[in-house]
Amino acid sequence: MKRQFLLLLLLCFAVAAPLATAQTAEDSPLSGEAAVAVSPAPGPVSNIQLKDTDNDHGHSVTLSWEISPDDGAGLNNVIGYEIHRALSPEGPFVKRAGVPAGSHSHVDVGSKEESSPDYMKDYIDYYYKIRTITADSAVNAESTVAGPIQSYGQWFNTGRVPVLIFVACFLALTLYFINRAKGGADLYVRPLAGIGAVDEAIGRATEMGKPILYVLGLGTAADIATIASYTILGRVAKKVAEYQTGLIVPCYDPIVMTVAQETVKASYADAGRPDSYKEDMVYFVTQSQFAYVAAVNGTMLRDLPATNIYMGKFYAESLILAETGALAGSIQIAGTDEIAQIPFFVVACDYTLIGEELYAASAYLGREPLLLGSLKAQDYAKAGVILIALVGFILLNFGVDGFKEFFFVSN
Amino acid sequence: MNNLGLIISFLVIGAGLLWFLLRALQGKEVERRIIFVFIGLAVSVPILFSITFAEKASPIVKAVYDKIENLPDGSRVLISYDYGPSMAPEVEPMSNAFLRHSLAKGHKVYLMGLWATGQSIAATAIDSVVRREFPEKVYGVDFVNLGYKAGNQGVLNVIITDIRKMYLTDVGGIDLDSLPIMDGIKSLRNMNLLMSVGGGFPGIKEWIQFAGDPGHIPVAGGSAAVSAPLLYPYYPTQLLGLLGGIKGAAEYEAELKRHYPQFADTPQPGIKMMGPQTLAHLVIMAFIIIGNISFFVARRRRG
Amino acid sequence: MNGSRWTMIVLIAVVTLFLVSWAIKSFPSSGDTISWPSIRHAFFVTLAAFVTLAIFSFLYKDNPYYKFAEHLFVGVSAAYWMCVGFWSTFVGNLIPRISPGLSKFFGVPYKEFTFYYFVPLILGILLLMRLSSKAGWLSRWALAFIVGTTAGLNLIRYLRSDFISQVSNTFVPLLVQWKGTGAFFSDFSLASGGQFTLMLTNWVIFIGTFCGLIYFFFSKEHKGVFGAASRVGIWVLMITFGASFGYTVMGRVSLLVGRLTFLFDDWLGLMN
Repeated sequence: MKRQFLLLLLLCFAVAAPLATAQTAEDSPLSGEAAVAVSPAPGPVSNIQLKDTDNDHGHSVTLSWEISPDDGAGLNNVIGYEIHRALSPEGPFVKRAGVPAGSHSHVDVGSKEESSPDYMKDYIDYYYKIRTITADSAVNAESTVAGPIQSYGQWFNTGRVPVLIFVACFLALTLYFINRAKGGADLYVRPLAGIGAVDEAIGRATEMGKPILYVLGLGTAADIATIASYTILGRVAKKVAEYQTGLIVPCYDPIVMTVAQETVKASYADAGRPDSYKEDMVYFVTQSQFAYVAAVNGTMLRDLPATNIYMGKFYAESLILAETGALAGSIQIAGTDEIAQIPFFVVACDYTLIGEELYAASAYLGREPLLLGSLKAQDYAKAGVILIALVGFILLNFGVDGFKEFFFVSN
Repeated sequence: MNNLGLIISFLVIGAGLLWFLLRALQGKEVERRIIFVFIGLAVSVPILFSITFAEKASPIVKAVYDKIENLPDGSRVLISYDYGPSMAPEVEPMSNAFLRHSLAKGHKVYLMGLWATGQSIAATAIDSVVRREFPEKVYGVDFVNLGYKAGNQGVLNVIITDIRKMYLTDVGGIDLDSLPIMDGIKSLRNMNLLMSVGGGFPGIKEWIQFAGDPGHIPVAGGSAAVSAPLLYPYYPTQLLGLLGGIKGAAEYEAELKRHYPQFADTPQPGIKMMGPQTLAHLVIMAFIIIGNISFFVARRRRG
Repeated sequence: MNGSRWTMIVLIAVVTLFLVSWAIKSFPSSGDTISWPSIRHAFFVTLAAFVTLAIFSFLYKDNPYYKFAEHLFVGVSAAYWMCVGFWSTFVGNLIPRISPGLSKFFGVPYKEFTFYYFVPLILGILLLMRLSSKAGWLSRWALAFIVGTTAGLNLIRYLRSDFISQVSNTFVPLLVQWKGTGAFFSDFSLASGGQFTLMLTNWVIFIGTFCGLIYFFFSKEHKGVFGAASRVGIWVLMITFGASFGYTVMGRVSLLVGRLTFLFDDWLGLMN
């Protein structure tokens, strides 16, 4: 009933408004200036739609409307719209926001804090109206009142479904492969050229009678790159013990040093030469980045190791280390997941394990179920990505755009 | 003066390169410190003689310029200073150009930093750019320095929903609610454009991941050259434009100068740096060629 | 002459040189009288120039001046981050939520008492327990919290921005603005916004991503077609590294230009 009454009112206004403006123009032919000053009011916005904002924690309402007929057309005098809100259709209405001309929608977000003056309570009725404004503050047009609408929160953000699906798939893959690896399944990992290079380099060091320098990088004991590096260190230490070559492991982090000592000790025991292991093979240097580099550089130039192996996390020191090693004439093998540092290792080293190859090398050598399972899960995830990319690419090139929309995460 | 500079530069560089080439052909190695001195010369001479080149904005730079230019006057632009003094020569020209352009267009500018050092760099920018070139702009009305908060990407994760959860005051301890520029600002979602200038962690990538993508807010950036290639995959869908290294800064400055005659006399460090850059790059390219010649000569002698 | 005497001579020469530089810079160029701000400014410019040159001296060889400058830098930056962290986070965020008295003391506006701000305070104190050898293990609780939340936060954001969005970014049309082969050749242009460049970009994105992923696929031996794609992948990677290296050179030269400009302009006043 109320709505019909409002509609009738709007109709009357719509009929009366042009008449009224026409009359104003006729009534005031006396002064040209006065005629210019009283500019005609623009048409109001129409068809205001209100809804609770989707996928949020509440305290927000989304408005959409059809713009004024004089916005960008007609009188072309609209400069924007003001959004007003009230708790009852009669008001009082409070201005909530202003949006520029041409806008079709607005999200009215209030605070969720009760103490805030901007607090917007959920589950109560709100009413909105939109004022079409012009450059002249006295000339504007108000829409009819729209409402009621209530705001409320959602338990699930459906806009993030793609993320949920991908997380679930990846977790399932990881758990499945870790379980299989734990169960002793023979999971295939292709041999990496870098691993062969490590073996060769150890052989060369033995021939030359010079030590091998192993740098674990600047990572902490918890970094995956450092963990992968322990496995490779274990392998190197075992070979070194077998060939009776020297090993130098300067460390940046005291915890990394402790783990590295255990790793090397275990490898010497594995190789049947626990007596050859010496505590000072693995030592702590300093936790200052460039001081550490200076110390390692000094070792490279003094001891002239036959082979330098850099595996782990590296930052700005990568090039300084690798360059000094190249200057000293050592064979160098590097591996890091720090993408920004890979180019430096590529130019200054004989062989570089790029990004994930470091993890793969570690999984290949160590056969540790956790690493191996994760690596396999990643491989299958990559296969999935290749497949999705191919499907999406083919569909798009045959004019089907809908597939891409599935990958849109709303907020 | 400029021509004289150019001639001297080319003479120095040409003679030096010739010497290096001769040494390479003879199979002799060159002491690395001489190379350092040579690079130092190739960079110094163009600086002293102020050699500059014409710049034209590439699409990726032009996209940032157009975005600021096409935003309606009075839009809200946030500039995050995510760098320290060690990166400043390279990226400061970018943040200054963004600031200049935004203020000249009449936008409201919010300065902040995800790096502690960014806070004082933003303060310096206010002194050297805003106070000097835009004396009519009022602090708290046209621009504000929100300062730094610890927490890296965590800060963004909070202010994407509520700025006041992290920032109660501006950098000088003034209550944010008392500043007119903060009226109607609840979260980053109220910003029309987010710009991060930096080149490390946290930086543009974090702005994309934690603010731009979840809030669907346009993100643009200025990055140190080192990390620029890693940001290209986000362009143009997730990152609307990027100034990569000093070249990007120079292109932006040139674009600004072309459309805003009032900036003809303001300092243009980006454009100025491209002179030494160009010469240093030529020299380095020559070194790569000479180095390869030397390598093959040495191999042939050995073989 | 022995080494230590040489060191002393060099030290005296360096100190004298910079003292003279300070004195000269303290005098304003145009007839103004010498003032406290000009002396202070001159001191800072001279100190900055000294520290810059001390770092540059490493290019010759490692020396005590370099070490001094490096340690100064490390120390100052660590202290700076700590101070800013204290004032912006501890004083700026925490104090206004837990104590009106402390807010008044530090001169920040008190907001309202929020009990859950004690959680980060307690975690922060736990983190400091690292300094104690007996209670050091307590810091692991705070560390676990940091590692856990960061991992959770990053997983979702990375998945969204670096995975889902990036995957959909590889769905690119191979033919852009296609109006037939004739039009393609007649309107051929190498301009950055031209049809050819746009198409080439899309081809590179698609082939590069595809082959790059195959290179990092470890469950199958790289032989035959798979091996060929993997080789293309490594080529793409190497080109990326080359571009990255080139950009780095540009970045480093910029920094050098910045420092040299400071030395020539601010310190020596050689430029207009």
